[in-house]
Parts: sequence; structure tokens; C-alpha cells
Amino acid sequence: MIYLLHIIILIEIYAILSISLNLIAGYTGILSMAQAAFYGIGAYVAALMALNFNTPFLLNLILAVIIAGVFGALIGIPSLRIKDDYFIIATFAFQIIIFSVLNNFVSFTGGPMGLPGIPQPEIFGFVIDNHWSFLILGLLLAVFTYYFSKRIVTSPIGRTLKAVREDEVFTQSLGKNVAALKVKIFVVSAALAAIAGVLYATYITYIDPTSFTVNESIFIISIVIIGGAGNLKGSILGAVVLVMLPELLRFVGLPNAVAANIRQMLYGGLLVAFMLWRPRGFIGEYSINRESKK
Amino acid sequence: MVLNMFPQTIINSLVLSYIFLIVTLSFSIIYSTTRFFHFAHAVIFTSGAYFTFLLHKQLGFSLVLSIPMAILLSILLGCLIEHFIYKPLRKKQAPPMILLLASLGTYIFLQNTISMIFGDDTKSIRSGVVKEGLNFFDARITPIQITIITTSIIVTVLMILFYKKTQLGKSMKAVASDSELSEYTGINANRVILWSFAIGSGLAALAGILVSLDVDMTPTMGMNALLMGVVVMIVGGNNIKGMVCAALLLGFAQNYGVWYISSQWKDTIAFVILVLFLLFKPEGFFGVKIRKQSI
Repeated sequence: MIYLLHIIILIEIYAILSISLNLIAGYTGILSMAQAAFYGIGAYVAALMALNFNTPFLLNLILAVIIAGVFGALIGIPSLRIKDDYFIIATFAFQIIIFSVLNNFVSFTGGPMGLPGIPQPEIFGFVIDNHWSFLILGLLLAVFTYYFSKRIVTSPIGRTLKAVREDEVFTQSLGKNVAALKVKIFVVSAALAAIAGVLYATYITYIDPTSFTVNESIFIISIVIIGGAGNLKGSILGAVVLVMLPELLRFVGLPNAVAANIRQMLYGGLLVAFMLWRPRGFIGEYSINRESKK
Repeated sequence: MVLNMFPQTIINSLVLSYIFLIVTLSFSIIYSTTRFFHFAHAVIFTSGAYFTFLLHKQLGFSLVLSIPMAILLSILLGCLIEHFIYKPLRKKQAPPMILLLASLGTYIFLQNTISMIFGDDTKSIRSGVVKEGLNFFDARITPIQITIITTSIIVTVLMILFYKKTQLGKSMKAVASDSELSEYTGINANRVILWSFAIGSGLAALAGILVSLDVDMTPTMGMNALLMGVVVMIVGGNNIKGMVCAALLLGFAQNYGVWYISSQWKDTIAFVILVLFLLFKPEGFFGVKIRKQSI
């Protein structure tokens, strides 16, 4: 039972991450490879605040969201000026820079040893220290992320985002400030990813930089693409499928050493298969497989 | 620190630069014809080293025989990826984004295949004795490092001649500038692209083998090398002259940078250079635009 709860909490974390990336990748059509970096920033801010200053959970959550948002702006403002694949490479670069800061700034982040003993959240006197309560906390945060994102994508702003995805120059010609809009949605996306980071750090109570690598970014991208870009429900479905699927391998009885590799091979293979035969994912409204803007 | 570090750093920087250069040339030949970031190229680099390890250490072939065989196997792997994944996607007119995602998937798949078969620990194909290296102006240079530098220079010269003198090289330039238009002049774009994958994969495997002879191998070595190659390509502006300069800039910046700050920041130095170039001089050193025409 505990095992099942654990899986559901992981699904909640990845649902938040993939919804946040979907805003930028699925709705606006800009693929970012730095989502795991914002996830990591959220986790580290919450952990460092709680460990060093013993601040309450809600304050840490808000701080993590704000700081990740600031980093989103710092990274987004310069790199969103760069087009297409070069933007991907730039975010790839930032992902690696942030990872090496987490990994090498030993006096501050603990380096490769990570940060152990992160206190569990306490909200208005309720201590969240078992799987059930984490499940509910995760659910609340995931539902918040979902509805917050839904508000954005169904608003006029959401329609403008889709317009940017379909034809950036045309949208600009309608008098929309595309550059500012892209930065804003990038910041929101980064801030939402931090929520998942705070949840992860307080749930596992231990973090180290290896949870926030490029491979993690690629995993989040896979969830968005396989679930369906441009559809928030698709991101939830993608998180359910991609978190559960490797767990099924456990029951086949693979040795642990191989299981990690098989898990990654599975989603790498799935990503290729989807690109070849169903590029819009399970329930994506927007297929990136389209001769775009000629 | 008794050794005079200054000449030694020059040697180290040169070796690093020349490795970057081969990787960059191998990646840029594919990028020029296909116009998307072929991330699975990282695995081709790694596979060169691991095929050599398999043939030489596990199957007992001699090193002289293993290296060409490993390069051939890597070429085969590169061509298979192109034939079974990228070509069908191009046929459907998939945009670069889809190809890029497919290549990320391929990378993850193959890199983990290598990890699963050989394990994540460091493997070596060097023979037992570590050679001390020759003294060279107060610095040491090992025979393998000399090999790296000479191979890289030969490869660069050959690539310049290839683009200038051979029919295939010229066709490649044609496909690079406009693959659709090149078809009208009787060029089979798919065949040219396949050739670019063959040559690019061969060079990447060669670079992988050279690196593994110098500093051993791990399953993830390729991604790092590839990223440096991409940085050099962008900073160099995708022409050979620019890429030579960019490789030297990066090699020296990384090695001298670690004099002032600690060595874990090597990658960060490279990426800071990349981001600065992307922002202020996206067309690279000598101003040849490699950006796609916007719209």
C-alpha cells in the first residue's frame, strides 16, 4: 500500500512538472531543456531555507516559487531572443551550468553529497510526515497547478500563446508584444516547476544534484510530448503512464542494476516510436509534426 | 607544481582543442546537410571507444585491427539511425523539432544500452604500462597526445580538400544550402545525407577512440564531447576556419580558466562562452550566418 502511495506521489510531482513545461513547450511551441534546473532550484531553495533558518513550509514554498521565477527571467530574457534550435542549445547550456553550480558550490549546496535531513512540512500545526498526508498535499499542489495553468491557457493570453506557436511574425503584426509574452510564460513555467521541487525535497527529505540533470529534463519533455503537447490533461496522462510503466518492470523481476537502464531505454524508445508514428502524443491537440511556417 | 605549468598548459590546451575540432567537424558535416541537432551523435562517439574495447579487450583482436573495425561498426550504427529513424521522418516532412526529439530518444536508448552491457564504471583500452611521455620545452607530451594532434590536423586538411575538390563534397554543400533545390540538379539528397552520416559517424568514432586512448571511457563521455562540439560549431560559425579558431579559443579558455577557478567549472566556462556568442555574435567568428532564414 505504501508502495502504491509512493507511486501516486511521484505521479503528482511529475504531473506538476509536465504541466509547467507544457505551458511553454506545448502551448507556446518553445522547447526548453532547462525544466529540471528550475525543479532543482525549487528543491534547493526550500531545503536550504528549512535547514538554515528553520522557516515554515509555506514561506519556503513561496520563496522557492519567487526565486525560480527570478531565475526564469534571468535565463529567459537573454535566451528567448535566440531562435529555434539555438534556443534549445542555450537552455541545454543553462541546465548544465545550474547543475554544475549545484554540484560544485560545495559550501553552499553540499555538492555531490547533497542535503540530508530536510524537515518535513508543517502547515498551521499539521505535520505532514506520512504517505497519506503527502499524497493530499501533492494533490492540492497539483490541482492548484492544473487550474492555474488552465486559467492561463483558456484566457486571451492563452490564445495569444497558441498564436505565437502557429505563427510568431503574424502574431507580432497584430500588435501583440510577443517577446514580453514569451518571457512571462517562461517565468510562470519556471515558477510552477519549483512547486514540484519543494514537494520532492520535503517528501524525500534528501536531495542531491543527480536528481536534476539533463536526463531529467529529457524525461519531463518525454512526458509532455507522449502525453500530448498543448493539452494539460495530456500531461497528467503522460505522467501516469511514464511513471507507472517502468514500475511494471519490477514485477517481471529484473535485477535492480539493470532496471534503471531499462527504464530509461523504455522512455527513450517510446519517444522515438511516438515521433515516428504518433507525433501528437496520446491526446495532444497540437502536433509539432507539421510543416511549420514556410 | 615544481614543473613549469605554463608550457604544460599550452600542450594540454592544444590536445583538448584538437579533440574538439574532430568532434566539431564530425557533427557539422551532418548538421550542414540535415539542419537539426543530431544528439544521438554523442552515442556514436562513445560507441567508437566501446566497440574498440569489445574487439580488443574482450574478443582479443589486435589494437591495429580493432580500431578500423570499430570505426566501421560506428559508421554502420550512424547510418542505421539515419535510415530507420531520420529518413522516414524527413519523408513525412517533419520539422527539425521532431527530428531533435527523436534523436534525444535515440540517444537515451543507446547510451543506456551501452551502460547496461558494459557497466557505468570507467573502462580502459590502454596497455598496462603508462608511458612517461617526451619532454618538450619543460612540458610532457605523451605519444597518444601527439597522435591526437597530428590526426586532427590531417583530418582538417582532408575535410577542406573534400569540400573543395570532390564531387560528393560539392553536392553536400548544395544540399546544405537548399536540399529541395539541389534535387533538381540531379543530386540525390537522401544519398548525400547518408554519406554525411557515414563520414560524420566515422570521424566521431575516431575522436571517441582517441579520447579513450588518452583518458579512458565512460558511457556518458559522448554527450559532453558533443556539447563541446556544438559550442565550437556555433562559435566558429560552421566554417572550417572559424571552427579551428573556436576550438583553440575553447581549449585554451577551459585550461587557463581552471588556473583561476577550480577545475569543475570547465563546462561552465564553455557554456558561458556559448551563451555570450549566441547573444552578441550568433553568426560566429567570421560572420557566416548559420541561422535558418527566419520564416
